[in-house]
Amino acid sequence: MSLGTFATSRALTLGVELELQIVNTQDYDLAPQAGDLMRLMKDRKIPGDVKPEITRSMIEMATGICSDFDQVLSELREIRGALLDSARQLEVGLCGGGTHPFQQWSQQRIYETPRFHQVSELYGYLSKQFTIFGQHVHVGCPGPDQALVLLHGLSRYIPHLIALAAASPFVQGEDTGFNSARLNSVFAFPLSGRAPFVQRWEDFETFYAKMTRTGVVSSMKDFYWDIRPKPEFGTIEVRVLDTPLTIEKAAALAGYIQCLARWLRVERPFELNEDDYLPYTFNRFQACRFGLDGTFVDPTTGEHRTLRDDIRATFAKLEVHAMELKAEEAIQILKHEVDGLGNDAAWLRQLHAREGMLAEVVRQQARRWAGRER
Amino acid sequence: MANGGPVTSARVTQNNKQNEGDDMNLNELLSSMHFPAPPDQLWLVALVLVAGALAGEAIARTTRLPRLVGYTLAGGVAAAAGMGVQMPLDGSARLVIDLALALLLFEIGCRVRLRWLLRNPGLMATSLLESAVAAAAVYVALWQLGLEPAAAAACAVLAVPASAAVAGRVAQELGADGQVTQRMTHLTALNTLYGVLALVMLSAVLQAGRAPHWLPALQALGTSVASALLLAALLGGAVALVARRLDLRNESAVLLLLGLVLLAVSGARWVGASTLLVPLLAGMLLRNTSDRPWVWPRHFGTAGGVLVLLLFVVVGSAWSVPVLAAGGLAALVLLLARSLAKGLVVVLLSRWSKLSLRQGVALAVTLTPLSATALVMLSELMRAEPGLGATVAPIVLTAVALVELVGPVAVQLALRFAGELPGTSAKENT
Repeated sequence: MSLGTFATSRALTLGVELELQIVNTQDYDLAPQAGDLMRLMKDRKIPGDVKPEITRSMIEMATGICSDFDQVLSELREIRGALLDSARQLEVGLCGGGTHPFQQWSQQRIYETPRFHQVSELYGYLSKQFTIFGQHVHVGCPGPDQALVLLHGLSRYIPHLIALAAASPFVQGEDTGFNSARLNSVFAFPLSGRAPFVQRWEDFETFYAKMTRTGVVSSMKDFYWDIRPKPEFGTIEVRVLDTPLTIEKAAALAGYIQCLARWLRVERPFELNEDDYLPYTFNRFQACRFGLDGTFVDPTTGEHRTLRDDIRATFAKLEVHAMELKAEEAIQILKHEVDGLGNDAAWLRQLHAREGMLAEVVRQQARRWAGRER
Repeated sequence: MANGGPVTSARVTQNNKQNEGDDMNLNELLSSMHFPAPPDQLWLVALVLVAGALAGEAIARTTRLPRLVGYTLAGGVAAAAGMGVQMPLDGSARLVIDLALALLLFEIGCRVRLRWLLRNPGLMATSLLESAVAAAAVYVALWQLGLEPAAAAACAVLAVPASAAVAGRVAQELGADGQVTQRMTHLTALNTLYGVLALVMLSAVLQAGRAPHWLPALQALGTSVASALLLAALLGGAVALVARRLDLRNESAVLLLLGLVLLAVSGARWVGASTLLVPLLAGMLLRNTSDRPWVWPRHFGTAGGVLVLLLFVVVGSAWSVPVLAAGGLAALVLLLARSLAKGLVVVLLSRWSKLSLRQGVALAVTLTPLSATALVMLSELMRAEPGLGATVAPIVLTAVALVELVGPVAVQLALRFAGELPGTSAKENT
């Protein structure tokens, strides 16, 4: 399949996709009922849309093209309302979080579409282990070259985004010690990681042509990169976020990314350099493992700081842009977390320490996602 | 296993002493057939256990059917050899059935979310109508066939419950999960509840004389339900207390739970409350008074598994050739009217209750089995109304015998049809 032309989209527009967990309300294990939810959602009018995902206990909600934080939040709210209403008719729960804390991957069932079956056959157990739940944020780019420049600029803040969004400390009934154990599953895929360091679309096309000639990839979907261009939409897509526990947090993360993008675009605060990627995997690991307490190595100066401190520093730099984009509330929500309890992984761990039962953790996750707690 | 055997056998032995002078049972038959005299009923229980386990394993290995088909077959063979269980249930057979069914009903009760019925009125209507229409259809059909109104009414009441034993066991063994499984559990728990209540009411009406007086009937219903509710509340409270202190996934905590359920059933037998109602209500109370998740090994682990196996062997043995001959036609009519009525209601209301047509058909099929619940209700009826019981017994026993092997297989096929077994597709549901 060829790469196709890069569609143009209005700069800094947003699109948010959230992969959600469908759980039963008995023992709060995953429930393979995406088909039923899809059937009930078919008759509903919502902004954006709702799609099935690779396993049957997963469903994805997506906003349309939004201009700012407020619009993202209101669309997410509307879709959530319709989804919750359908879920109640079926007596199933919905929740955020990057992993289900105790599901057994071997019991997951693949949703019946040709592509999902292909993926399942190729990757075997990896595809079931891929029962993980992420948030994807699309940022509109007026042209393909600008998209690549923005992609490499944002790459420096991938660790920050991972640390802020991390919400997957538990896997298969165990505390992994990670803040985002979900990303470990993504990194297992052969074509995960980062996009090649090219800043012009024709160079990217050359790279893509070489890759397809080897037969290793047949479409952009085969790249499981942290950020990848999406030519059909004319966007770049940030894919490292765990699905947060609330839609407010999801909208805030989108708002933060929008501010970062505007700052990079307008101020061009640093020159892009392939050497910036030298500490990339180290930083990314620190963010997955330790969250906000992880170490961040500044690629330009080589200085070591905690991610919490470096995130605070970005908040200060983004102030003007947040004002321009009407995203102050988004920054406020994140600031509140960074200064307070921490990310969603910390919330989940604290809850588990109190309740001592992962099923109860999932129940409260579902309550929280429904907006009935805090 | 090590814990289950002694507990069961101790209870059986103790019960045997209380029930000396029972009807002929397998034990006595075996002695009269010049086998070396077995020491006690431990022999019987061991034999049933071994035969059932072997048959279950054989079925599971050679076919893809659920094990309980094997258990039932083992019982069926015993019955064919003239060693079936006697009705009304008594002695060790009654004990085994009461206890095993109590576990299954408690578990199924624990899965009923009453709030779902309020949120999904189509489901509430399905539950009420599938029971009511099935009862009415069976009554009219059997009355047309020439049965007395009282006998037709009794059959109608016994036809209301679906099989909690089959539903719970098949779903668990095959790892079924989805809307049909979830609704099968709910509808089965609820129609068991309606059926038992209707039976209490029917007995009261019959006792009040041929002309129905509603007051004594309602009074009897009130006392029965009140005592069952009280016991259920005690059991539910005790389980909640245990759950707060112990991890229920732990095997020793499960044994404690098992003991509590058995204690409540003994209590029910002692005060004359329904042994079906108490565990079912206790489960429902637990589930609907707290939102916290309930997790424990299904069927109370190995110990409960022993009882469930015995249950299916005993139920499988509840027939004989003369009974089949006597009940034949009426039983067929009963089954036909019941399945048609339940099926029609479930399928017609599937859209309103937010199911696809395919799922509606599957759900309708899962309600067809008739098993231990009907047997226990029949037994209660035979005790309360011996005359009527004698008329009704062949019909109900034949009906149970006719579907006991087909039922579990039908449930399995239906769940596969709905795409709710592991490795099946769900695309038709979307």
